[in-house]
Amino acid sequence: MDAKTQKYDRQLRLWGNSGQEALESAHILLVNATAVGCEILKNLVLPGIGQFTVVDQGTVTQNDIGSNFFLDSESLGKSRAERACELLGELNEDVKGHSVAKDILAVLTETPRYLAQFSMVIATDVTRQTAEKLAALCWLNGQESGTTSGLKSTDSPAGKKETTFVWVKTAGLLGSARIAVPEHTIVEAHPENVADLRIDTPFPELVDYAKAFNFDTEDTLEFGHIPYVAILLKYMDEWKQQHHGKIPSTYAEKNQLKANIRSGMRSGDDENFDEAINSVLRSCQPTVVPSSIKELFADAKCVNLTSESANFWILTRAVKDFVDNTEKSGGLLPLSGTIPDMKAQTDSYVTLQSIYKTKAKHDVQEVSKIVEHLLESLGLASGSISLQEIESFCKYSAFLKVIRFRSLEQEYNQPKAQQIGEGENWEDDVDPLHVHVATLLQSWAVEGDAVSKELTHEVCRYGKGAVHNIASFMGGVVSQEIIKLITHQYIPLDNTFIFDGARSVSAVYAV
Amino acid sequence: MIDTQTITDHERWAGIYKLLDRTSLIHPEFEPQEEIKEFIKSCKILVIGAGGLGCEILKNLALSGFCDIHVIDMDTIDVSNLNRQFLFRRADVGKPKAVTAAEFINKRVQGVTVTPHYCKIQDKDEDFYQEFALVICGLDSIEARRWINATLVGFKGQARVILPGITSCYECSMDMLSKPTGFPLCTIANTPRLPEHCIEWASVLEWPNKHGERKMDTDDPKDIQWLYETALARAKQYNIQGVTYSLTQGVVKNIIPAIAATNAIIAASCCNEALKIATTCAKNLDNYMMYSGNDSVYTYTFQHQRKEDCPVCSNSVSKLEFGGDKTLEDFMDYLKEKPDIQLKRPSFAIGGKPLYMQAPKQLEEAMRPNLAKPLKDLFSNGDEVTITDSTLPFSMQIQVTFL
Repeated sequence: MDAKTQKYDRQLRLWGNSGQEALESAHILLVNATAVGCEILKNLVLPGIGQFTVVDQGTVTQNDIGSNFFLDSESLGKSRAERACELLGELNEDVKGHSVAKDILAVLTETPRYLAQFSMVIATDVTRQTAEKLAALCWLNGQESGTTSGLKSTDSPAGKKETTFVWVKTAGLLGSARIAVPEHTIVEAHPENVADLRIDTPFPELVDYAKAFNFDTEDTLEFGHIPYVAILLKYMDEWKQQHHGKIPSTYAEKNQLKANIRSGMRSGDDENFDEAINSVLRSCQPTVVPSSIKELFADAKCVNLTSESANFWILTRAVKDFVDNTEKSGGLLPLSGTIPDMKAQTDSYVTLQSIYKTKAKHDVQEVSKIVEHLLESLGLASGSISLQEIESFCKYSAFLKVIRFRSLEQEYNQPKAQQIGEGENWEDDVDPLHVHVATLLQSWAVEGDAVSKELTHEVCRYGKGAVHNIASFMGGVVSQEIIKLITHQYIPLDNTFIFDGARSVSAVYAV
Repeated sequence: MIDTQTITDHERWAGIYKLLDRTSLIHPEFEPQEEIKEFIKSCKILVIGAGGLGCEILKNLALSGFCDIHVIDMDTIDVSNLNRQFLFRRADVGKPKAVTAAEFINKRVQGVTVTPHYCKIQDKDEDFYQEFALVICGLDSIEARRWINATLVGFKGQARVILPGITSCYECSMDMLSKPTGFPLCTIANTPRLPEHCIEWASVLEWPNKHGERKMDTDDPKDIQWLYETALARAKQYNIQGVTYSLTQGVVKNIIPAIAATNAIIAASCCNEALKIATTCAKNLDNYMMYSGNDSVYTYTFQHQRKEDCPVCSNSVSKLEFGGDKTLEDFMDYLKEKPDIQLKRPSFAIGGKPLYMQAPKQLEEAMRPNLAKPLKDLFSNGDEVTITDSTLPFSMQIQVTFL
């Protein structure tokens, strides 16, 4: 085991080498070295992102060192960007840190395409105007590029990068995070169960396998080790013969099938029969293409491929064409090829495993052929989508996911920037804020007193104060989301997260 | 450079002092008082564990204004800790976690004193624990959590507030833990199917065969390599795929994947509650928050109920129904699998008289025949059985009614 694998062992078990590669090729920009910003970066530098850049014009104040662990008393009066970069950089010798002691708007004036080099822009403690400007520039990058599954930018056909925008705010015991990127695609959503056993529509090799078991054997050990898949197939086949080829559909029918299986048990504790009975409900779910995947098949990006199309969409199209070729696919998605553990003798389990794996491999080959055709017709290089990527795409094809976030522009149009609760006479802010909230609610046609005076008062009480625990909590949540976005594994939140530290509750809204 | 003497509490803790100086309409019980600020500075607070959660908790408490923090941990730093335990560097590998973490915080955060205790939690007596106003527990071992719960007052990790005698305690919720993943011995020995079965065979059956009395050291790469090769050979023999070094290590060390982000979330929730309890500036969590980040972000906050027959926080005796014709071994297997009990090597006694003891060896051998006897031959219907186990910090009384 090499040194890197040793250091990253605990996380590689979560996102594997492909996720780690995606992290290592990421370059993340932090706008303003706030407590929450540095907490986010801490949780990203530790697992080894490629590079980070801190842009901040400010110098370190006493309040900074009271809330930010990556600024210390020696930093007082020095550049926030430089000191934060230095202390964060100590966390991982494999990560490159850069700092720019300027205001982000000044940087953008000098270099208008500045943001295009980043995979992610995290804005903290910025005005709404600045946030909107950053969000719009990132959004443009995202639309220009072919967003692709968790691969290096050079692997995507167009060679362009997406830039995801994240805006994080904390005030007293409140925290919120907003994510915006035109489109985010996920292949490895890490579903709980990827088993796809096809008990209702067994393929010929599976039928033959099940038939080979002797259910009349005298040998109790042999009987107790017939794999439950074979038991289910036998009883399902008998059922179909008695019911014009149909599988049980009603609750009563499913219970009857369970009873049929139970009647075949010899002793009360044939575990394999129990396993079969416990799988009846799932097995009576007809194997079909899930509606969420059908929607992807109908998506314009799948239908109208171009040479700029991301691998994700070329692969989605290939799977669609595979499904449409019913002779080859039976109208079903490629087989996942994994089976759960079950009571069985080693040989019969290994054989069953290999039957599913072989069929899955066969499906992958068919999809690969289609991918090659598509690449050729698009004028893209043969083999530019690796077999490994096709395999993983086929394995998880029932769980593909696309999130299209709403932009900040879409979220709201009325400009507003009000500093809340900053002054000595903070309670004077309660009434104006309450009126403002009421006006907003009215304009959105939200009826009644949805936001109470007490809550408005509470927000003013917080007065934008940086409380480290909240910064750290939000730092954890946001960095977790960023890892999901960069690796294209697991499902990120869409699109706004709010944490109420006073009541210890949270919520996600698609605003 | 600015003279560090000029640092004032008022400026440095501005964010927190807003919470402490200003009243709240959603929590009108709160009364701002200068004494609260003094209390944060002077109260003694104990952090149990200086691992992934511990590092975060120490940082959070120091930046919440707590000045007298103690930390207890028996572990030394391993290279695989570095991806999340951010108070440690590569040069620190092998050093005690508690000492290294304390030194780092003391240097980074001016005015804070973290006192390290490089020892087992069980090495400290009740008097030690009673000194602290608050205890925050960042442990990943169920055994250690159980021990702390039975020993002291306080509240603990996993974003949970435990007020002794008021809220439910750790032992009350043992049944919420998932069943420990174990494989039946007969599968491991006779019908292996998964790479994990081959690894278990190598570590449980083949290791004692080949190495006799020598105990396996799961931190020694040589021992892991031996297990890996042994498991791989068995897998080849049975045509099973997927035995890797990494999986071997994962199975024998029971590794739980861990990243900085998740630790940060849980630790911050705990420390947020600690600050709320210490200052009363907002209502504390009542009493359980769960966090899940696989699909979007989901938190669930609820009131976990006390268990009426909890062996720690109630005085009643647990009751159980079990077949009187079944053997003591059956009974033992049943208790090992029962999620709210979770025993490893239980010993049994009835009215002070042992029925079966795991140790010493001579006693175990002498009493082993009892395992094969039906329960009804060993005690009467309705008797209270006393169970002790190395995983239990207390002895458990169960009243057994025969079915």
